Amino acid sequence: MKTLDRLFENGARSLAKRTSRRSLLACLGQVLTGAALMPLLPIDRTARAQEPVHPTPAEQKCDYWKYCAIDGFLCACCGGSSTACPPGTQPSPITWIGTCHNPADGRDYIVSYNDCCGKVSCGDCFCDRNERETPMYRLSRNNDVNWCMANADSNYHCSVSVILGVAEK
Amino acid sequence: MVKNGLGMLLLALAAGSKLSWAGPQPPPLPAEHLTVATVGPKSPHWIYVVDYAYVNEIDSRVWLFDGDTYRRIGQIDTGFFPAVNLSPDGKTTAVATTYWSRGGHGTRTDVVELNDNNTLSKTGEIVIPPKHAQTLAMMFTLTYSADGKFVYVPYLTPAASFGVLDPAKKRVLNEIDTAGCTLTFPWGPNRVSSICESGRLLTVTLDSQGKETSRTTSDAFFNVDEDPVFAQAVPLPDGYAFVSFLGQVHEIDFRQPKPGIRTPWSLVSPAEKGAWRPGGVQIGALHRARNKLYVPMHKGGDGSHKEGGSEIWVFDLKSHQREARWPIDSYKAGTAISVQVSQDAAPLLFIATETSHLLILEALTGKLKHDEKNLGQTPQLLLNP
Repeated sequence: MKTLDRLFENGARSLAKRTSRRSLLACLGQVLTGAALMPLLPIDRTARAQEPVHPTPAEQKCDYWKYCAIDGFLCACCGGSSTACPPGTQPSPITWIGTCHNPADGRDYIVSYNDCCGKVSCGDCFCDRNERETPMYRLSRNNDVNWCMANADSNYHCSVSVILGVAEK
Repeated sequence: MVKNGLGMLLLALAAGSKLSWAGPQPPPLPAEHLTVATVGPKSPHWIYVVDYAYVNEIDSRVWLFDGDTYRRIGQIDTGFFPAVNLSPDGKTTAVATTYWSRGGHGTRTDVVELNDNNTLSKTGEIVIPPKHAQTLAMMFTLTYSADGKFVYVPYLTPAASFGVLDPAKKRVLNEIDTAGCTLTFPWGPNRVSSICESGRLLTVTLDSQGKETSRTTSDAFFNVDEDPVFAQAVPLPDGYAFVSFLGQVHEIDFRQPKPGIRTPWSLVSPAEKGAWRPGGVQIGALHRARNKLYVPMHKGGDGSHKEGGSEIWVFDLKSHQREARWPIDSYKAGTAISVQVSQDAAPLLFIATETSHLLILEALTGKLKHDEKNLGQTPQLLLNP
Protein backbone atom coordinates (compact mmCIF):
# COMPACT_ATOMS: atom_id res chain seq x y z
CA MET A 1 0.00 0.00 0.00
CA LYS A 2 2.88 2.35 0.74
CA THR A 3 4.09 1.85 -2.76
CA LEU A 4 0.64 2.73 -4.11
CA ASP A 5 0.44 5.80 -1.83
CA ARG A 6 3.82 6.96 -3.06
CA LEU A 7 2.83 6.35 -6.67
CA PHE A 8 -0.35 8.45 -6.40
CA GLU A 9 1.41 11.18 -4.38
CA ASN A 10 4.17 11.44 -6.97
CA GLY A 11 1.61 11.49 -9.75
CA ALA A 12 -0.40 14.25 -8.06
CA ARG A 13 2.70 16.34 -7.40
CA SER A 14 3.88 15.88 -10.98
CA LEU A 15 0.47 16.89 -12.29
CA ALA A 16 0.46 19.97 -10.01
CA LYS A 17 3.87 20.99 -11.34
CA ARG A 18 2.73 20.68 -14.94
CA THR A 19 -0.66 22.37 -14.62
CA SER A 20 -2.16 25.54 -13.19
CA ARG A 21 -5.54 26.19 -11.61
CA ARG A 22 -6.41 28.12 -14.75
CA SER A 23 -5.68 25.12 -16.93
CA LEU A 24 -7.82 23.00 -14.61
CA LEU A 25 -10.67 25.45 -15.15
CA ALA A 26 -10.06 25.33 -18.89
CA CYS A 27 -10.15 21.55 -18.81
CA LEU A 28 -13.37 21.58 -16.79
CA GLY A 29 -14.79 24.07 -19.27
CA GLN A 30 -13.99 21.75 -22.12
CA VAL A 31 -15.69 18.88 -20.36
CA LEU A 32 -18.77 20.99 -19.66
CA THR A 33 -18.82 22.23 -23.27
CA GLY A 34 -18.57 18.66 -24.44
CA ALA A 35 -21.44 17.69 -22.15
CA ALA A 36 -23.50 20.55 -23.56
CA LEU A 37 -22.86 19.29 -27.08
CA MET A 38 -23.98 15.76 -26.30
CA PRO A 39 -27.61 16.42 -27.26
CA LEU A 40 -26.34 17.53 -30.69
CA LEU A 41 -24.85 14.17 -31.55
CA PRO A 42 -26.31 12.87 -34.80
CA ILE A 43 -27.91 9.72 -33.46
CA ASP A 44 -29.80 11.71 -30.84
CA ARG A 45 -30.98 14.27 -33.34
CA THR A 46 -32.09 11.84 -36.00
CA ALA A 47 -34.02 9.82 -33.46
CA ARG A 48 -36.26 12.82 -32.88
CA ALA A 49 -36.57 13.94 -36.49
CA GLN A 50 -39.92 12.28 -37.16
CA GLU A 51 -41.66 15.32 -38.57
CA PRO A 52 -41.99 17.16 -41.90
CA VAL A 53 -39.08 19.40 -42.74
CA HIS A 54 -38.85 22.62 -44.67
CA PRO A 55 -35.33 23.14 -45.97
CA THR A 56 -34.27 26.67 -46.73
CA PRO A 57 -33.16 27.55 -50.28
CA ALA A 58 -29.59 27.91 -48.92
CA GLU A 59 -29.62 24.27 -47.74
CA GLN A 60 -30.37 23.19 -51.29
CA LYS A 61 -27.25 24.79 -52.73
CA CYS A 62 -23.81 23.25 -52.86
CA ASP A 63 -22.10 26.46 -51.74
CA TYR A 64 -23.91 26.44 -48.37
CA TRP A 65 -21.20 26.83 -45.72
CA LYS A 66 -21.98 23.54 -43.91
CA TYR A 67 -21.31 21.52 -47.04
CA CYS A 68 -17.56 22.29 -47.20
CA ALA A 69 -16.55 18.62 -47.41
CA ILE A 70 -19.68 16.90 -48.66
CA ASP A 71 -19.63 14.50 -51.59
CA GLY A 72 -23.02 13.27 -52.69
CA PHE A 73 -26.61 14.29 -53.26
CA LEU A 74 -27.97 16.94 -50.90
CA CYS A 75 -30.81 15.45 -48.84
CA ALA A 76 -32.34 18.93 -48.74
CA CYS A 77 -33.23 18.38 -52.43
CA CYS A 78 -34.49 14.82 -51.84
CA GLY A 79 -37.27 15.24 -49.27
CA GLY A 80 -35.08 15.93 -46.26
CA SER A 81 -33.01 18.89 -45.15
CA SER A 82 -29.40 19.54 -44.19
CA THR A 83 -30.15 17.80 -40.87
CA ALA A 84 -32.93 15.36 -41.78
CA CYS A 85 -32.96 12.23 -43.90
CA PRO A 86 -35.82 11.93 -46.41
CA PRO A 87 -38.86 9.85 -45.45
CA GLY A 88 -38.29 6.11 -45.49
CA THR A 89 -34.51 6.27 -45.35
CA GLN A 90 -32.25 5.49 -42.43
CA PRO A 91 -29.30 7.62 -41.27
CA SER A 92 -25.87 6.02 -41.24
CA PRO A 93 -24.60 5.60 -37.68
CA ILE A 94 -21.02 6.08 -38.84
CA THR A 95 -19.90 9.23 -40.58
CA TRP A 96 -17.08 11.35 -41.81
CA ILE A 97 -16.30 14.59 -40.06
CA GLY A 98 -15.44 18.04 -41.38
CA THR A 99 -14.66 21.49 -40.07
CA CYS A 100 -16.49 24.30 -41.87
CA HIS A 101 -16.36 28.05 -41.45
CA ASN A 102 -19.64 29.88 -40.97
CA PRO A 103 -19.21 33.34 -42.48
CA ALA A 104 -22.33 34.60 -40.66
CA ASP A 105 -20.79 34.36 -37.20
CA GLY A 106 -17.10 33.93 -38.06
CA ARG A 107 -16.85 30.58 -36.24
CA ASP A 108 -15.51 27.23 -37.34
CA TYR A 109 -17.87 24.32 -36.68
CA ILE A 110 -17.30 20.58 -36.57
CA VAL A 111 -19.93 18.94 -38.74
CA SER A 112 -20.90 15.32 -39.21
CA TYR A 113 -21.71 14.21 -42.75
CA ASN A 114 -24.12 11.33 -42.36
CA ASP A 115 -25.38 9.44 -45.35
CA CYS A 116 -29.06 8.54 -45.59
CA CYS A 117 -29.51 4.95 -46.63
CA GLY A 118 -31.89 2.27 -47.87
CA LYS A 119 -33.03 3.71 -51.20
CA VAL A 120 -31.27 4.14 -54.54
CA SER A 121 -29.44 7.37 -55.39
CA CYS A 122 -31.57 10.50 -55.07
CA GLY A 123 -29.84 11.85 -58.16
CA ASP A 124 -30.51 15.54 -57.50
CA CYS A 125 -28.26 18.37 -56.26
CA PHE A 126 -24.97 16.52 -56.56
CA CYS A 127 -22.32 18.34 -54.57
CA ASP A 128 -18.60 17.56 -54.28
CA ARG A 129 -16.57 19.79 -51.95
CA ASN A 130 -13.40 18.66 -50.27
CA GLU A 131 -12.02 21.05 -47.65
CA ARG A 132 -9.67 19.00 -45.43
CA GLU A 133 -10.92 15.80 -47.06
CA THR A 134 -8.35 12.98 -47.10
CA PRO A 135 -8.04 9.69 -48.98
CA MET A 136 -9.32 6.40 -47.63
CA TYR A 137 -6.32 5.70 -45.41
CA ARG A 138 -7.65 8.42 -43.08
CA LEU A 139 -11.17 7.12 -43.14
CA SER A 140 -12.75 9.59 -40.70
CA ARG A 141 -12.05 12.42 -43.17
CA ASN A 142 -12.88 10.56 -46.34
CA ASN A 143 -16.01 11.33 -48.34
CA ASP A 144 -15.60 8.75 -51.12
CA VAL A 145 -16.66 5.61 -49.29
CA ASN A 146 -20.27 4.60 -48.90
CA TRP A 147 -20.97 5.50 -45.26
CA CYS A 148 -24.12 3.40 -45.43
CA MET A 149 -21.76 0.41 -45.42
CA ALA A 150 -22.71 -0.64 -41.88
CA ASN A 151 -26.47 -0.14 -42.27
CA ALA A 152 -28.77 -3.12 -42.51
CA ASP A 153 -29.85 -1.70 -45.85
CA SER A 154 -26.64 -0.24 -47.18
CA ASN A 155 -27.79 1.46 -50.37
CA TYR A 156 -26.80 5.13 -50.59
CA HIS A 157 -29.48 7.78 -51.11
CA CYS A 158 -28.18 11.22 -50.08
CA SER A 159 -26.05 13.12 -47.53
CA VAL A 160 -26.69 15.57 -44.69
CA SER A 161 -24.44 17.90 -42.70
CA VAL A 162 -25.13 18.18 -38.96
CA ILE A 163 -23.39 20.65 -36.64
CA LEU A 164 -21.69 18.88 -33.72
CA GLY A 165 -20.21 21.97 -32.10
CA VAL A 166 -17.78 24.83 -32.34
CA ALA A 167 -14.28 23.75 -33.35
CA GLU A 168 -11.64 24.44 -30.72
CA LYS A 169 -8.91 26.77 -31.98
CA MET B 1 -57.81 11.67 -98.52
CA VAL B 2 -58.68 13.05 -101.98
CA LYS B 3 -62.47 13.06 -102.56
CA ASN B 4 -63.24 15.23 -105.56
CA GLY B 5 -62.78 14.33 -109.25
CA LEU B 6 -60.06 16.86 -109.99
CA GLY B 7 -58.01 15.56 -107.11
CA MET B 8 -58.36 11.97 -108.37
CA LEU B 9 -57.20 13.04 -111.82
CA LEU B 10 -54.11 14.83 -110.50
CA LEU B 11 -53.23 11.83 -108.34
CA ALA B 12 -53.50 9.49 -111.34
CA LEU B 13 -51.31 11.77 -113.49
CA ALA B 14 -48.71 12.01 -110.76
CA ALA B 15 -48.64 8.23 -110.32
CA GLY B 16 -48.36 7.68 -114.09
CA SER B 17 -45.54 10.19 -114.52
CA LYS B 18 -43.66 8.64 -111.64
CA LEU B 19 -43.87 5.19 -113.22
CA SER B 20 -42.67 6.49 -116.55
CA TRP B 21 -39.60 8.22 -114.98
CA ALA B 22 -38.51 5.64 -112.45
CA GLY B 23 -37.74 2.74 -114.77
CA PRO B 24 -37.74 -0.84 -113.45
CA GLN B 25 -38.00 -1.24 -109.65
CA PRO B 26 -34.87 -2.46 -107.82
CA PRO B 27 -35.03 -5.99 -106.38
CA PRO B 28 -36.37 -6.23 -102.80
CA LEU B 29 -33.92 -6.25 -99.92
CA PRO B 30 -32.84 -9.74 -98.86
CA ALA B 31 -34.04 -11.22 -95.60
CA GLU B 32 -31.71 -10.38 -92.70
CA HIS B 33 -30.30 -12.71 -90.07
CA LEU B 34 -30.08 -11.67 -86.45
CA THR B 35 -26.60 -12.24 -85.05
CA VAL B 36 -24.61 -11.35 -81.97
CA ALA B 37 -21.51 -9.25 -82.58
CA THR B 38 -18.15 -10.55 -81.43
CA VAL B 39 -15.51 -8.46 -79.75
CA GLY B 40 -12.87 -9.04 -82.43
CA PRO B 41 -9.10 -9.14 -82.11
CA LYS B 42 -7.68 -7.32 -79.11
CA SER B 43 -6.09 -3.93 -79.73
CA PRO B 44 -3.72 -1.93 -77.51
CA HIS B 45 -5.91 1.04 -78.33
CA TRP B 46 -8.91 -0.38 -76.56
CA ILE B 47 -9.88 1.23 -73.29
CA TYR B 48 -12.15 -0.08 -70.53
CA VAL B 49 -14.11 2.86 -69.14
CA VAL B 50 -15.65 2.31 -65.72
CA ASP B 51 -18.86 4.35 -65.46
CA TYR B 52 -20.00 4.66 -61.85
CA ALA B 53 -23.43 5.95 -62.90
CA TYR B 54 -23.81 8.28 -59.91
CA VAL B 55 -27.42 9.11 -60.60
CA ASN B 56 -28.43 5.44 -60.44
CA GLU B 57 -25.55 3.81 -58.65
CA ILE B 58 -26.95 0.28 -58.56
CA ASP B 59 -26.56 0.20 -62.33
CA SER B 60 -22.89 1.00 -63.02
CA ARG B 61 -21.13 -0.52 -66.02
CA VAL B 62 -17.89 -0.79 -67.95
CA TRP B 63 -17.72 0.35 -71.55
CA LEU B 64 -15.16 -1.20 -73.87
CA PHE B 65 -14.25 1.54 -76.36
CA ASP B 66 -12.00 1.42 -79.42
CA GLY B 67 -9.60 4.37 -79.58
CA ASP B 68 -9.04 3.88 -83.32
CA THR B 69 -12.57 3.53 -84.65
CA TYR B 70 -14.15 5.65 -81.89
CA ARG B 71 -16.93 3.20 -81.28
CA ARG B 72 -18.27 1.27 -78.34
CA ILE B 73 -17.45 -2.40 -78.62
CA GLY B 74 -19.67 -3.52 -75.77
CA GLN B 75 -20.55 -3.35 -72.10
CA ILE B 76 -20.07 -5.25 -68.85
CA ASP B 77 -22.62 -4.74 -66.06
CA THR B 78 -21.01 -3.93 -62.71
CA GLY B 79 -23.70 -3.35 -60.05
CA PHE B 80 -23.22 -0.95 -57.10
CA PHE B 81 -19.92 0.78 -56.20
CA PRO B 82 -17.90 -1.70 -58.23
CA ALA B 83 -14.21 -2.48 -57.99
CA VAL B 84 -12.92 -3.40 -61.44
CA ASN B 85 -9.64 -4.67 -62.82
CA LEU B 86 -8.23 -6.74 -65.65
CA SER B 87 -6.36 -10.00 -65.16
CA PRO B 88 -2.62 -9.87 -65.93
CA ASP B 89 -3.18 -11.78 -69.20
CA GLY B 90 -5.95 -9.35 -70.18
CA LYS B 91 -8.44 -12.16 -70.75
CA THR B 92 -10.71 -11.43 -67.80
CA THR B 93 -12.41 -8.42 -66.31
CA ALA B 94 -13.01 -9.05 -62.61
CA VAL B 95 -15.65 -7.03 -60.79
CA ALA B 96 -16.25 -6.94 -57.03
CA THR B 97 -19.67 -5.50 -56.45
CA THR B 98 -22.90 -5.53 -54.47
CA TYR B 99 -26.41 -6.59 -55.43
CA TRP B 100 -29.60 -6.56 -53.42
CA SER B 101 -32.27 -9.22 -53.75
CA ARG B 102 -35.00 -6.67 -54.51
CA GLY B 103 -33.11 -4.28 -56.80
CA GLY B 104 -32.16 -1.39 -54.54
CA HIS B 105 -33.01 -3.15 -51.28
CA GLY B 106 -33.39 -6.56 -49.71
CA THR B 107 -30.64 -9.04 -48.89
CA ARG B 108 -27.17 -7.81 -49.77
CA THR B 109 -24.89 -10.10 -51.74
CA ASP B 110 -21.28 -9.17 -52.49
CA VAL B 111 -19.69 -11.05 -55.31
CA VAL B 112 -16.65 -11.07 -57.55
CA GLU B 113 -17.82 -11.62 -61.10
CA LEU B 114 -15.46 -12.87 -63.77
CA ASN B 115 -16.13 -11.74 -67.35
CA ASP B 116 -14.56 -13.12 -70.51
CA ASN B 117 -13.06 -10.20 -72.44
CA ASN B 118 -13.47 -12.09 -75.73
CA THR B 119 -17.23 -12.21 -75.38
CA LEU B 120 -17.95 -9.64 -72.64
CA SER B 121 -20.09 -12.26 -70.99
CA LYS B 122 -19.97 -13.45 -67.41
CA THR B 123 -18.19 -16.76 -66.99
CA GLY B 124 -18.23 -17.25 -63.24
CA GLU B 125 -18.52 -15.70 -59.81
CA ILE B 126 -17.22 -15.95 -56.27
CA VAL B 127 -19.59 -14.92 -53.49
CA ILE B 128 -17.59 -13.00 -50.88
CA PRO B 129 -18.47 -11.71 -47.40
CA PRO B 130 -20.84 -8.71 -47.73
CA LYS B 131 -18.18 -6.15 -46.91
CA HIS B 132 -16.18 -5.31 -50.03
CA ALA B 133 -14.94 -1.70 -49.80
CA GLN B 134 -17.62 0.39 -51.47
CA THR B 135 -15.82 3.45 -52.68
CA LEU B 136 -15.23 5.40 -55.83
CA ALA B 137 -13.07 4.64 -58.81
CA MET B 138 -9.83 2.97 -57.77
CA MET B 139 -7.32 0.66 -59.36
CA PHE B 140 -6.67 -0.89 -55.96
CA THR B 141 -10.10 -1.99 -54.75
CA LEU B 142 -9.66 -5.23 -56.66
CA THR B 143 -6.25 -6.45 -57.75
CA TYR B 144 -4.58 -9.55 -59.12
CA SER B 145 -1.29 -11.12 -58.10
CA ALA B 146 1.27 -10.85 -60.90
CA ASP B 147 0.76 -14.49 -61.89
CA GLY B 148 -3.01 -14.16 -61.83
CA LYS B 149 -3.47 -16.91 -59.25
CA PHE B 150 -4.82 -14.68 -56.48
CA VAL B 151 -7.40 -11.91 -56.50
CA TYR B 152 -7.30 -9.45 -53.59
CA VAL B 153 -10.44 -7.59 -52.52
CA PRO B 154 -10.27 -4.91 -49.81
CA TYR B 155 -12.99 -5.16 -47.18
CA LEU B 156 -14.31 -2.24 -45.13
CA THR B 157 -16.93 -2.46 -42.39
CA PRO B 158 -15.32 0.16 -41.44
CA ALA B 159 -12.71 -2.23 -39.99
CA ALA B 160 -10.15 -2.81 -42.73
CA SER B 161 -8.96 -6.15 -44.10
CA PHE B 162 -8.74 -7.85 -47.47
CA GLY B 163 -9.92 -11.12 -48.93
CA VAL B 164 -7.66 -13.50 -50.82
CA LEU B 165 -9.52 -15.34 -53.59
CA ASP B 166 -8.64 -18.13 -55.99
CA PRO B 167 -10.13 -17.13 -59.37
CA ALA B 168 -9.39 -20.54 -60.95
CA LYS B 169 -11.22 -22.56 -58.29
CA LYS B 170 -13.64 -19.71 -57.68
CA ARG B 171 -13.41 -19.66 -53.92
CA VAL B 172 -12.44 -17.39 -51.05
CA LEU B 173 -9.19 -18.58 -49.50
CA ASN B 174 -8.62 -16.25 -46.60
CA GLU B 175 -9.13 -12.88 -44.96
CA ILE B 176 -6.13 -10.79 -43.84
CA ASP B 177 -6.51 -8.11 -41.17
CA THR B 178 -4.66 -4.92 -42.11
CA ALA B 179 -4.73 -3.03 -38.80
CA GLY B 180 -6.54 0.01 -40.22
CA CYS B 181 -4.46 0.19 -43.39
CA THR B 182 -6.43 -0.04 -46.59
CA LEU B 183 -6.51 -0.97 -50.30
CA THR B 184 -4.34 -3.61 -51.97
CA PHE B 185 -1.17 -2.82 -53.91
CA PRO B 186 -0.04 -6.19 -55.26
CA TRP B 187 3.52 -7.19 -56.01
CA GLY B 188 4.85 -10.43 -57.43
CA PRO B 189 2.99 -13.69 -56.96
CA ASN B 190 2.30 -13.39 -53.24
CA ARG B 191 2.81 -9.93 -51.68
CA VAL B 192 0.18 -7.30 -50.91
CA SER B 193 0.71 -3.84 -49.44
CA SER B 194 -1.90 -1.58 -47.87
CA ILE B 195 -1.51 2.15 -47.23
CA CYS B 196 -1.76 3.49 -43.68
CA GLU B 197 -2.70 6.79 -42.06
CA SER B 198 0.77 6.84 -40.50
CA GLY B 199 2.27 7.37 -43.96
CA ARG B 200 3.62 3.80 -44.09
CA LEU B 201 2.88 0.71 -46.13
CA LEU B 202 1.92 -2.55 -44.48
CA THR B 203 3.13 -5.48 -46.59
CA VAL B 204 1.82 -9.01 -46.12
CA THR B 205 3.46 -12.06 -47.71
CA LEU B 206 1.25 -15.08 -48.46
CA ASP B 207 1.91 -18.76 -48.88
CA SER B 208 0.59 -20.80 -51.81
CA GLN B 209 -2.75 -21.25 -50.01
CA GLY B 210 -3.21 -17.51 -49.52
CA LYS B 211 -2.36 -17.56 -45.83
CA GLU B 212 -0.19 -14.90 -44.24
CA THR B 213 3.37 -15.97 -43.59
CA SER B 214 4.88 -12.62 -42.58
CA ARG B 215 4.29 -8.89 -42.52
CA THR B 216 6.50 -5.81 -42.59
CA THR B 217 5.94 -2.09 -42.21
CA SER B 218 7.78 0.45 -44.32
CA ASP B 219 9.22 3.70 -43.08
CA ALA B 220 6.84 6.65 -43.33
CA PHE B 221 7.08 8.39 -46.69
CA PHE B 222 4.39 11.06 -46.34
CA ASN B 223 2.63 13.07 -43.65
CA VAL B 224 -1.15 13.12 -43.98
CA ASP B 225 -1.44 16.36 -42.02
CA GLU B 226 1.09 18.23 -44.13
CA ASP B 227 0.73 16.84 -47.64
CA PRO B 228 -1.41 13.71 -48.16
CA VAL B 229 -0.81 11.45 -51.13
CA PHE B 230 -3.51 10.31 -53.52
CA ALA B 231 -4.35 6.68 -52.81
CA GLN B 232 -4.68 6.20 -56.57
CA ALA B 233 -1.02 5.37 -57.16
CA VAL B 234 0.64 5.05 -60.55
CA PRO B 235 2.06 1.56 -61.29
CA LEU B 236 5.79 1.61 -62.12
CA PRO B 237 7.94 -1.20 -63.52
CA ASP B 238 9.44 -1.76 -60.06
CA GLY B 239 6.76 -0.46 -57.72
CA TYR B 240 4.30 2.40 -57.44
CA ALA B 241 4.45 6.20 -57.48
CA PHE B 242 2.29 8.01 -54.94
CA VAL B 243 1.64 11.62 -55.95
CA SER B 244 0.87 14.12 -53.20
CA PHE B 245 -1.76 16.86 -53.18
CA LEU B 246 1.03 19.45 -53.58
CA GLY B 247 2.74 17.57 -56.39
CA GLN B 248 5.48 15.58 -54.68
CA VAL B 249 6.14 12.24 -56.37
CA HIS B 250 7.00 9.45 -53.93
CA GLU B 251 8.38 6.51 -55.88
CA ILE B 252 8.33 3.33 -53.83
CA ASP B 253 10.35 0.26 -54.78
CA PHE B 254 8.18 -2.81 -54.10
CA ARG B 255 10.73 -5.47 -55.06
CA GLN B 256 11.63 -6.19 -51.43
CA PRO B 257 9.23 -7.32 -48.69
CA LYS B 258 9.88 -4.01 -46.98
CA PRO B 259 9.23 -1.42 -49.72
CA GLY B 260 12.10 0.98 -50.38
CA ILE B 261 11.50 4.71 -50.40
CA ARG B 262 13.26 6.82 -53.01
CA THR B 263 13.97 10.53 -52.69
CA PRO B 264 10.77 12.32 -53.67
CA TRP B 265 10.72 14.79 -56.52
CA SER B 266 8.28 17.52 -57.46
CA LEU B 267 5.94 18.03 -60.39
CA VAL B 268 6.00 21.78 -59.76
CA SER B 269 8.68 24.42 -59.46
CA PRO B 270 9.03 26.34 -56.18
CA ALA B 271 7.17 29.22 -57.81
CA GLU B 272 4.32 26.93 -58.90
CA LYS B 273 4.02 25.04 -55.60
CA GLY B 274 0.59 25.45 -54.02
CA ALA B 275 -0.76 27.20 -57.10
CA TRP B 276 -0.59 24.39 -59.66
CA ARG B 277 -1.67 20.99 -58.30
CA PRO B 278 -2.43 17.50 -59.53
CA GLY B 279 -6.08 16.60 -59.13
CA GLY B 280 -8.96 14.41 -60.17
CA VAL B 281 -9.52 10.69 -59.73
CA GLN B 282 -6.92 8.77 -61.71
CA ILE B 283 -4.13 11.28 -61.37
CA GLY B 284 -1.34 9.72 -63.37
CA ALA B 285 -0.47 7.29 -66.14
CA LEU B 286 2.91 6.02 -67.25
CA HIS B 287 4.09 4.91 -70.67
CA ARG B 288 6.57 2.36 -69.40
CA ALA B 289 8.80 1.96 -72.48
CA ARG B 290 9.16 5.69 -72.98
CA ASN B 291 9.16 6.62 -69.25
CA LYS B 292 6.58 9.34 -69.81
CA LEU B 293 4.33 10.30 -66.93
CA TYR B 294 1.06 12.11 -67.70
CA VAL B 295 -0.63 14.09 -64.92
CA PRO B 296 -3.79 16.27 -64.98
CA MET B 297 -2.90 19.62 -63.38
CA HIS B 298 -5.05 22.54 -62.32
CA LYS B 299 -4.70 25.88 -60.59
CA GLY B 300 -6.28 25.65 -57.16
CA GLY B 301 -5.90 25.81 -53.41
CA ASP B 302 -6.36 23.46 -50.46
CA GLY B 303 -9.36 21.20 -50.91
CA SER B 304 -9.10 21.26 -54.72
CA HIS B 305 -7.53 17.80 -54.96
CA LYS B 306 -10.52 16.33 -56.80
CA GLU B 307 -10.69 19.12 -59.35
CA GLY B 308 -9.81 17.96 -62.81
CA GLY B 309 -6.87 19.22 -64.80
CA SER B 310 -7.09 22.18 -67.12
CA GLU B 311 -3.79 20.93 -68.54
CA ILE B 312 -1.96 17.63 -68.92
CA TRP B 313 1.67 17.86 -67.88
CA VAL B 314 4.12 15.36 -69.31
CA PHE B 315 7.25 14.36 -67.39
CA ASP B 316 10.23 12.19 -68.08
CA LEU B 317 10.26 9.77 -65.17
CA LYS B 318 14.04 9.39 -65.20
CA SER B 319 15.12 13.01 -65.52
CA HIS B 320 12.03 14.34 -63.67
CA GLN B 321 11.89 17.09 -66.26
CA ARG B 322 8.58 18.45 -67.47
CA GLU B 323 8.53 18.03 -71.23
CA ALA B 324 5.14 19.41 -72.20
CA ARG B 325 2.03 21.22 -71.02
CA TRP B 326 -1.09 20.39 -73.04
CA PRO B 327 -4.13 22.58 -72.35
CA ILE B 328 -7.53 20.90 -72.28
CA ASP B 329 -10.47 22.74 -73.80
CA SER B 330 -12.29 22.45 -70.49
CA TYR B 331 -15.00 24.89 -71.57
CA LYS B 332 -15.97 22.48 -74.32
CA ALA B 333 -15.14 19.09 -72.80
CA GLY B 334 -14.77 19.64 -69.04
CA THR B 335 -11.60 19.24 -67.00
CA ALA B 336 -9.52 16.07 -67.06
CA ILE B 337 -10.25 13.83 -64.05
CA SER B 338 -8.69 10.54 -65.17
CA VAL B 339 -5.86 9.63 -67.52
CA GLN B 340 -4.59 6.40 -69.04
CA VAL B 341 -2.06 5.76 -71.79
CA SER B 342 -1.74 2.79 -74.13
CA GLN B 343 1.59 0.97 -73.99
CA ASP B 344 2.28 0.52 -77.71
CA ALA B 345 4.73 2.37 -79.96
CA ALA B 346 2.07 4.78 -81.26
CA PRO B 347 0.41 5.42 -77.92
CA LEU B 348 -2.92 7.07 -77.26
CA LEU B 349 -3.65 9.17 -74.19
CA PHE B 350 -7.18 8.65 -72.92
CA ILE B 351 -8.76 11.34 -70.75
CA ALA B 352 -12.10 11.10 -68.93
CA THR B 353 -13.55 14.50 -68.11
CA GLU B 354 -15.84 15.84 -65.42
CA THR B 355 -18.61 16.25 -68.01
CA SER B 356 -18.41 12.63 -69.21
CA HIS B 357 -16.35 13.13 -72.35
CA LEU B 358 -13.63 10.72 -73.37
CA LEU B 359 -10.80 12.58 -75.10
CA ILE B 360 -8.29 10.67 -77.19
CA LEU B 361 -4.95 12.34 -77.84
CA GLU B 362 -1.78 11.27 -79.57
CA ALA B 363 0.36 10.58 -76.52
CA LEU B 364 3.58 11.66 -78.23
CA THR B 365 2.35 15.05 -79.43
CA GLY B 366 -0.76 15.92 -77.45
CA LYS B 367 -2.77 16.30 -80.64
CA LEU B 368 -6.49 15.75 -80.05
CA LYS B 369 -7.75 12.91 -82.23
CA HIS B 370 -11.27 12.51 -80.93
CA ASP B 371 -13.77 13.90 -78.43
CA GLU B 372 -16.39 11.28 -77.52
CA LYS B 373 -19.26 13.03 -75.79
CA ASN B 374 -21.49 11.33 -73.23
CA LEU B 375 -19.49 8.16 -72.73
CA GLY B 376 -21.77 6.95 -69.99
CA GLN B 377 -22.93 8.98 -67.04
CA THR B 378 -19.85 9.43 -64.82
CA PRO B 379 -16.84 7.70 -66.38
CA GLN B 380 -14.00 7.78 -63.89
CA LEU B 381 -11.62 4.87 -64.18
CA LEU B 382 -9.72 3.95 -67.33
CA LEU B 383 -8.10 0.54 -67.73
CA ASN B 384 -6.21 -0.68 -70.76
CA PRO B 385 -5.52 -4.22 -71.91
